Amino acid sequence: METLSNLAFGLEVALSWQNILYCFIGCFLGTLVGVLPGIGPVATVAMLLPFTFGLGPAPALIMLAGIYYGAQYGGSTTAILVNIPGESSSVVTTLDGHQMARRGRAGPALGIAAIGSFIAGCIATLLIAYFAPPLAELALKFSPAEYFSLMVFGLIAAVVLARGSLIKAIAMVCFGILLGLIGTDVNSGAIRFAFGQVELADGLGFVALAMAFFGITDVVLNLEHKEAQQVFTSRIGSVLPTLADLRACFWSIARGTALGSLLGVLPGGGALLASFAAYMVEKKIAKPPRAFGEGDIRGVAAPESANNAGAQTSFIPMLTLGIPSNPTMALMIGALMIQGIAPGPQVMTERPELFWGLIASMWIGNLMLLVLNLPLVGVWIKLLAVPYRLLFPAIFVFCCIGAYAVDNKIFDVYALAALSALGYVLLKLDCEPAPMVLGFILGPMMEENLRRAMMISFGDPTVLITRPISAGFLLAALALLLAIALPALRARREEAMQE
Amino acid sequence: MRIRSPRDFWAGLIFVAIGGGFVLLAHQYRLGDMHRMGPAMFPTLVGALLVALGVILALRSLVRDGAPVPSFHARPIIMSLLAIALFAIALQWLGLVAAIAVLVLVGANAARDVRQLDNLALAAVMIVFSVAVFVWLLGLPLPLWPIS
Repeated sequence: METLSNLAFGLEVALSWQNILYCFIGCFLGTLVGVLPGIGPVATVAMLLPFTFGLGPAPALIMLAGIYYGAQYGGSTTAILVNIPGESSSVVTTLDGHQMARRGRAGPALGIAAIGSFIAGCIATLLIAYFAPPLAELALKFSPAEYFSLMVFGLIAAVVLARGSLIKAIAMVCFGILLGLIGTDVNSGAIRFAFGQVELADGLGFVALAMAFFGITDVVLNLEHKEAQQVFTSRIGSVLPTLADLRACFWSIARGTALGSLLGVLPGGGALLASFAAYMVEKKIAKPPRAFGEGDIRGVAAPESANNAGAQTSFIPMLTLGIPSNPTMALMIGALMIQGIAPGPQVMTERPELFWGLIASMWIGNLMLLVLNLPLVGVWIKLLAVPYRLLFPAIFVFCCIGAYAVDNKIFDVYALAALSALGYVLLKLDCEPAPMVLGFILGPMMEENLRRAMMISFGDPTVLITRPISAGFLLAALALLLAIALPALRARREEAMQE
Repeated sequence: MRIRSPRDFWAGLIFVAIGGGFVLLAHQYRLGDMHRMGPAMFPTLVGALLVALGVILALRSLVRDGAPVPSFHARPIIMSLLAIALFAIALQWLGLVAAIAVLVLVGANAARDVRQLDNLALAAVMIVFSVAVFVWLLGLPLPLWPIS
């Protein structure tokens, strides 16, 4: 049982008092910020990134992971009590969760969300422990051509599964790649696209980019259409679900976990897709189905389990392949690079304490969240009373300090302002920032792998389609594109026919 | 010629400009060939793809209907950007304490409903918190006061 001994090793790392402390701080801060409406997990992780700068790689990653699933948890509390999703992955939780709250069953709704998430988190952690090592081993055998095609596939899949226009999303990926190429070219030493700015020699700051697109622009857009929010915090009562609730939810949690774990691994998947899919499936499968949308507890249990499972398993491609499946994972990779660790399959063998410590800490973190959320829910609700006008300047402060503190460069703060302006215009034009951030992280890696692949093949680009695994990835990417493009084409043709 | 989908049209133009800009800038670096790709090769390829996508978007916006560009509100974005830029200037010359004060006091004006007294209190809280956590607890090398 190699997995078990690995997990035991990981527990040893994760259970050192300081790692427990950082895990706790991460979960705590994550929940705290996650509860606040209008600040999603990406912004939360980006904003809290500076808290990890002074730490070593393992504690930093453990804390960031804690922040991530803490934010996930906190989001559902807001969804149930205020009917405003704390972040997009808890949108479906508002459907039945808020109805339950209106009927005086806010407590059990919160309780089942926490319990479902805990169970899902535990199972997903085990899945990572079992599936990550063989995947990393496989990835180590990939040649540059395969790696390049894998990244193309990853980006296309992420784009296809995201919402919005496909062409814009691919364009944003390209834009992200180009921004990622700014700075010193590792092969030739040429400093590219720096406009003579010495500060740009190390490239555009990733933290500044993430904060601009997910922190500052979000605040600005929130300020533009400000809606009065009605907090629903009358009485929560006991958070413990009844035995009947638990029995009703058992299979919902199981199904949510299974679906969430699966979707979390997919590029572009993760928590958001998982929770939507789980709710849809639950509505179709669960018997009797009529209560959905009117406060059915299974309508909370399934998506909450699924989004936590998905959040957890989205670590698999990040840890084993070095490929982020969503913006949050892109931030994690960014954090790894700030710590001086090159992401990729070698992390597991070269830094086992980092890898297994992180996985084991997820277990501990999930337990902490259960403890943090159930008894303390009253405290979190108080946060909802803080008006946004006091909140957003605080977000500015964290973003600015964070952008500066990565490299102690004033330049990065100016970059933050410039990128915020750019992000604002792009968002107004309906261009999603998520694909761009993925492109930014993957751009330099793609260039490097393409270069090596071409070097080995003596400049013959067909190597990308003559190697079977590489061809498989590219075919899969093409199939995904066609699957999206064809129905659109068909629909347009029908439109034309009707005219 | 009528623009039917302004959002797509402008997004397309921006992409053409950015992609074209990168392709042009890449000219000053060595292109190389496919076997030995120079520093200009990959940016040129990706930039060209971006231009192509932008052109498709812009052309498509002439035949396909789409939503109008939503209105821009000057106050939130301008105040936010101004606050961040002032933070950068203040941090360089006056140190963190003054920088946070400026950031909060100017930044808070991005909202419609501004209460200066609350903002003063908020600035004080943020200064104390940031200095305590970032500088003392985490030991980030941030200058607290003006460099003498």
